[in-house]
Amino acid sequence: MSRNASSTTDADAAPEPTVSDDAPGSIQAPGSDLATCGDDDAAATCRYCGRPFATPDAHDLHVGDVHADACTTAEREAYERALEAEEDELFYFHLRVVAALAGLYTVVVLAYMIALGSGIL
Amino acid sequence: MLARAVAHVGGLVDAVNTGTVPSWLTVATGGALVGASFLFTSLLTDHEGIRAVNGLRAVVPTTDGLRRAVVAGTRALGVLGLVLVLVGAAFGSPEPRRNVAILVVWVGWWAGFTMSTYLVGNAWPLVNPWRTLAERLPGGGDVDLPSEWGAWPAVVGLLALVAVEVVSPLASVPRALGVVVVAYSAVTLLAAWAVGPDAWFERADPVASVFGVYGRAAPVQRDADGLGLRLPGSALADVNATDDRPGAVAFVVALLWSTTFDGLVTTPAWNDALTVVVEAVPVVPTDVTAVVGYVLALVVGFALFRALYRLAAVRCRSRVDTYLAPAAIERWFAPALVPIAAGYHVAHFSGYFLSLSPALRAAVLAPLSDPGVPQLAVLPPWFGTLQLAFVVLGHLLAVWVAHALALEVFPGLLRPIRSQYPFVVVMVAYTMTSAWVVGQPFDAPGYL
Repeated sequence: MSRNASSTTDADAAPEPTVSDDAPGSIQAPGSDLATCGDDDAAATCRYCGRPFATPDAHDLHVGDVHADACTTAEREAYERALEAEEDELFYFHLRVVAALAGLYTVVVLAYMIALGSGIL
Repeated sequence: MLARAVAHVGGLVDAVNTGTVPSWLTVATGGALVGASFLFTSLLTDHEGIRAVNGLRAVVPTTDGLRRAVVAGTRALGVLGLVLVLVGAAFGSPEPRRNVAILVVWVGWWAGFTMSTYLVGNAWPLVNPWRTLAERLPGGGDVDLPSEWGAWPAVVGLLALVAVEVVSPLASVPRALGVVVVAYSAVTLLAAWAVGPDAWFERADPVASVFGVYGRAAPVQRDADGLGLRLPGSALADVNATDDRPGAVAFVVALLWSTTFDGLVTTPAWNDALTVVVEAVPVVPTDVTAVVGYVLALVVGFALFRALYRLAAVRCRSRVDTYLAPAAIERWFAPALVPIAAGYHVAHFSGYFLSLSPALRAAVLAPLSDPGVPQLAVLPPWFGTLQLAFVVLGHLLAVWVAHALALEVFPGLLRPIRSQYPFVVVMVAYTMTSAWVVGQPFDAPGYL
């Protein structure tokens, strides 16, 4: 049942697995041993776990988050830049989420008011 | 003609049909709740915080002596239960609600024990009487169960058991139940002896696999340090517990589909459709056409569910522009399907379990004496609403688990959220379908 968390890339660059397979909530390179396909046009490949990414910022976010203990200062800075860029986008995304929630709430309340109050529905 | 029976899921029907809330609005509200909960979880972007919440764990203190006593006691109880079922099926009352075999299997075990596997913890590896017996058989273990078969033997076994359960009178004729239990025992003991109990019950036995999957949603989890208490469902978000075997996703989908199918065949819509099909085939005897119809619906429905889940994974892949293979994405998010199946199971069976539990108690205390008129508990009217809430609660937990898993596998915060769009669409559709099924009046499956 348990997934082997060891990575398939060169042992020099890869960080030593520090967390045992059985520890709950282990954060050892999740997804690094998942099968990939169609990655011939990959923009970047993680040098720690070999996972390909379609965009450089996806790669930077991955390295800084998953390989936080192993990455270099340059990679750390790239991660922080990508994170900052995403934060702006996330704010506008959350605005839309709040608007969608308000819309959904209104529709549901109105539907109940009409269904219970008028007998039309 | 169609046989009509008393609604054992009657409480649920009341929840949808009473008052002036039209049933379509109740169904739509279930869908809206799941959609809204996805929107709410997308506001939770503290990855570390989510990991910490899912990682909360308290060790349940045990001693070796206590553990040994509980293990021995539970094993003995399991074997005793099997003997009771066999004796009850052979010599008990022919009336199903007074027969100890029917009550123990359907009320005590398939409703009650199954609920305990996801609400408390999976005790089946200990209770399993066939495992206890198989471990005591001499010799054996010579046949190799190919590991490339993965979970497929369990998938086929589960669908076969559901087909037998639906098309045969297992819940009403004690002798028929006895025959099936004997047949299952013979097959299971022979197979477990041939390939070894560990290989058989961990990889191929459909019953043990069902409880194993349900058990992953439970608060009590067994791991390297013994027993641990976790938040319900949080063990499903463990990144190192993904089941990589071929067919593992198919098994979870089969479990979800078989619980749905169980409810679907008791809807008037199903019986109407079946009547049309049976009457359109005049040459073949009606019951043969009907059995073929049930089995075909079971297999086609499973294939449809499986294809829909694959489609969601393919859509997810293109949405977040990842190179992960669709099969890898499916496997990664499969644990999120477990709370949905559990929520549907508890909605479907909790009322049945509670209302028949006095009859079960009476039958177990005096297995072979006829208890007279069976005692039934009357459920309060609000119980139906509670059952409907279980369906939605299962989906809410699924949204949370999927969100936590997405944050682990896709980089950043927006990609994990966007990766869930196709899955949420499927979940909303599925909530509405199952809310519709549980809200339908009970109509005994026809032509059987």
